[in-house]
Amino acid sequence: MNLGDIKFDQELDCRGLNCPLPVLKAKKTMDGMSSGDVLKMISTDPGSKNDISAWGKRTGNEVLGMEDEGSEFVYFIKKA
Amino acid sequence: MLSVTSFTAEDLFCYLSNKKDILVLDVRNENDFGRFSVESPFPFKMVNVPYFDFMEEEDISVAKVSKEKPVKVVCAKEGSAQYVSEILVAHGFEDVAFLKGGIKTWGNMLTPKQINLTTDDYALFQFIRPGKASCNYGLLYKGEMIIFDPSRNLEFYQSFANKQESKIVQTFETHLQADYISGSKQIANMTGAEIMAHNGDFGKASFQYSEVNDDEKYSIGSGGPEIRVIHSPGHTPGSSSYIIDDKYFISGDTIFIQSVGRPDIGGKAEEWSVILYDTLMNKVQNLDKNLDVLPGHFMNWTEANDDLVITKKLDKVINNNAGVYAIDSPEKFTEYIKDNMRRSPDIYDKIRKVNTGRLDVEIDEADIMDLGKNECATIAYTVQ
Repeated sequence: MNLGDIKFDQELDCRGLNCPLPVLKAKKTMDGMSSGDVLKMISTDPGSKNDISAWGKRTGNEVLGMEDEGSEFVYFIKKA
Repeated sequence: MLSVTSFTAEDLFCYLSNKKDILVLDVRNENDFGRFSVESPFPFKMVNVPYFDFMEEEDISVAKVSKEKPVKVVCAKEGSAQYVSEILVAHGFEDVAFLKGGIKTWGNMLTPKQINLTTDDYALFQFIRPGKASCNYGLLYKGEMIIFDPSRNLEFYQSFANKQESKIVQTFETHLQADYISGSKQIANMTGAEIMAHNGDFGKASFQYSEVNDDEKYSIGSGGPEIRVIHSPGHTPGSSSYIIDDKYFISGDTIFIQSVGRPDIGGKAEEWSVILYDTLMNKVQNLDKNLDVLPGHFMNWTEANDDLVITKKLDKVINNNAGVYAIDSPEKFTEYIKDNMRRSPDIYDKIRKVNTGRLDVEIDEADIMDLGKNECATIAYTVQ
């Protein structure tokens, strides 16, 4: 799947933030979105990879894709 | 914002080795927790509740944490631990604190124990790294200090040397480490210390060192205890052990209290198994059986003595591993190694490159590369 093709409804910039902020902000942003909406999130925290994945599984918010660009991680998360 | 207190990795080790009745709450995700978590010399209570569980279901998550004991919250870097601590305080928990600097600091922490009698004219210390289950050593005599297999925790060594009013003059490497980044280069840069290492492992190193060879003798200062080199290849081609004052056997990863070093990390299992077999049968078995074995790694705290020093007499170590020492041919030993072979962590290759100076990494990356328990022994960890 080419991540550039994924349509998203909101974008969240979490660059420079360390945990728990990336997941916390993703949750808060998601809370204001509708089911099926997609959030694009950018983080520079390498710890966010495993956390977003685990949080997604836990909440049913599907991680459609994740791009690891070395210093930046881009996630596409669909609200359950 | 509520203010919560923090504690250090050294504090945590203190609580655990003094058997304080605490609850360790690890708020990392389950994968990271499964890979590497706090271990203690004694049984202790620990629970893993990811911080995002507290975000999603606060009351249910809080209910998983006992209010009866002091709660010590740990996470990767400290942010999530602090966040969860504040939630617990808001729920009426009275004794909550978070690990300052995160589990990374636990991974790097070194805790010193003197091995020899304080009445001797020299001091030999074991520096245990609980987060890696590894050990390195310090030998001090008349204001000079030698470190065997230093880790990257330069602050610790400098502070220790200062407290002992000693100058770090040399580091001795037992072998090219694959599971952690050696501090020899930085120590040499910082103090002018001489790095002592075997060509078999360090021949391609990009930094300066002095070579050690089998049966050479060194001493620290004049009149100080003798350091005898025993070339003991197998885990690596250049593996060398050091016998201090004819009493202490710093064995690197050649032999451990439980098991022996694995000869397959370099990708040459068949060749190195035969070499290791020869080392074990013809060198190790012929050493003074009364030597105190001081290994480079341990599997778990059952290997420690009552003073929490990881050591055992060589005859007991050989007995403990009787199965290995009874193998009567290099071919059978190679089969034994193959039966126990498992993948080495991918990061080991990179770490070896850093240790020969062929690769430089930023401090942050080095910190992460260095984390996690070792996989240096032939026998894998048994499930507890």
